[in-house]
Amino acid sequence: MAMLRLVIGRILLTVVTLLIVSFIVFGVLEILPGDVATRILGRDATPETLAVLRAKLALDQPALWRYAHWLGGVLSGDLGQSLVSGRRVIDILGPRIYNTVLLSIYAFILYIPLTVIPAMIQAVKRDRSLDHGFSALTLVLLSMPDFLLATILMILFVITIPILPAMSIVDQSSGWHEYFLATTLPAVTLAIVMAVYAVRMLRDNLIEVLDSDYVRMAELKGLPPVRVLIRHALPNALVPTLNVTAINLGYLVGGVVVVEKVFGYPGFGSLLVDSLQLRDLPVIEATVMLASTVYIAANLLADIGAILLNPRLKGG
Amino acid sequence: MAAVTAERRRAPRAHRLRAFWHRTPRSFRIGAFILLVHLIVAVTGPFWAPYGFAQMGAGIPLSGMSWAHPFGIDQLSRDIFSRVVHGSHIVILLSLSGTALGLVVGAIVGLLSGYVGGWFDDILQRFIEALISIPFLVLALLAMAAAGPEVAGNPVLVVLVVALVYAPRIARMARAAAIDIATRDYVTVARLRGESPWSVMRRELLPNATGVLLVEFALRAGYAPVLIGSLGFLGFGLRPPTPEWGLMISENRALLMVSPITVLGPGLTLASLVVGLNLFTEGFARILGRSVRLGER
Repeated sequence: MAMLRLVIGRILLTVVTLLIVSFIVFGVLEILPGDVATRILGRDATPETLAVLRAKLALDQPALWRYAHWLGGVLSGDLGQSLVSGRRVIDILGPRIYNTVLLSIYAFILYIPLTVIPAMIQAVKRDRSLDHGFSALTLVLLSMPDFLLATILMILFVITIPILPAMSIVDQSSGWHEYFLATTLPAVTLAIVMAVYAVRMLRDNLIEVLDSDYVRMAELKGLPPVRVLIRHALPNALVPTLNVTAINLGYLVGGVVVVEKVFGYPGFGSLLVDSLQLRDLPVIEATVMLASTVYIAANLLADIGAILLNPRLKGG
Repeated sequence: MAAVTAERRRAPRAHRLRAFWHRTPRSFRIGAFILLVHLIVAVTGPFWAPYGFAQMGAGIPLSGMSWAHPFGIDQLSRDIFSRVVHGSHIVILLSLSGTALGLVVGAIVGLLSGYVGGWFDDILQRFIEALISIPFLVLALLAMAAAGPEVAGNPVLVVLVVALVYAPRIARMARAAAIDIATRDYVTVARLRGESPWSVMRRELLPNATGVLLVEFALRAGYAPVLIGSLGFLGFGLRPPTPEWGLMISENRALLMVSPITVLGPGLTLASLVVGLNLFTEGFARILGRSVRLGER
């Protein structure tokens, strides 16, 4: 019961947070700047274009009414129309989300071995030169901006050893092979950035678990060291990294913005940058809301996971 | 008599400082050294850089690495090394002032919110959580878009955006610290003495939260150059011809095939600054007996 109440409480708080996010996003873009139409058109503003845009954005209505109208649209799945192309935002967003989801899944598949293997090596060889070497490497990678890491990978695998394309251009007609080539470098970049953050924590957790009595016991029983490490120590060391993985998923939502832009990959991140440059408000609002929703959902899942895995709350 | 005591104190203090320095973690010393080099370059660089940051005709474009031009020459025939040196104080100054502003706002809001509690805290918490729920780079880009084209590229705007991204994150830490400190007896005594929340915060909470806040400041300052660089790289930060490193990387990416050093020069300089800040933060946190998770975003 206590568990259920906690979970429901968390979900309700999440809904409130999302509502506030939507208010911030709309307020910052459409209420705060005063005359939105002049802002969007900039130098192209003529009395006629201004009048058309004002009518399109319903700027004669009060701000709160416009917010309610927009929110109602978002909740019923109507995200409005692009100011630039006139297409429905949902049609623009669809293929971009598909591309980004493919990229993210690829990045996550690479992320797991890139985290677990170095952490296990470091924990087993702790305080030896190999461990120190990996620690130094993760620190340098951790300090490196993602766009720099992406550029270095580009120098290595596009210019020095030309095996991958520099630009990740795909469209709906591309086959899986083209997708694979196009997404490899961005996925590796994202996976490395996420992994270096998690490796450091998993290494410390593993060392703590390896020192515990039950692992000592397993070793004394004469189990092979690899089996002790993978079957007995690793699962317990992984639980605290659940939170880190949620943080990493949150990073991924922002990280795709930069990484997709570096490789010109037509995903949701590059859509955000492009629509910001074009000041295409409905598209900006939709992408920012989507990014925040994914981030909030990831954190909610991590919280619920932590509640469910906490034995003290069971049955109480 | 006073002179005598002052004389006698000086030697032990220098001695204590040296002893302290030798007891500090190695990461702290390496980090402090890297930061010192960066600070010296930032302060003195504009006086000895071989060329001006916007000076054209420094050499043959795309001629690559040489002793005269260690980081090469860009398309406008500007010396990249001089540009990196000139950019140093810009990057460091904007990072530190943005983080400092975020720290001041975040600390005040977080400490007050944690101490006062009640509906004031509830409302603020929802708002802070909403700001944290927008991925930090998306929030920064959104703020840039909201500020509009008239002020785009203004360094003050970059400082404000860094502060906007960090203030809610710092406020969350400060609130947790305040809730912990508020249970102590001296805070109860101060409240019973009739002190206002503001004065309790300033006199009781703030001095006792200094450690948390300083580590938080160092941690965030370590990531600020990357945030500023990312904004510049995407074209939403400082404007050309400012020699900001992220902006330079994006400008010189067209030369990647011919002369990769024009990108690696500013890029690795930026990475070395962040490595220094991270090592310093890690060592600093260990001196204060706190744990810190580097790379927190």
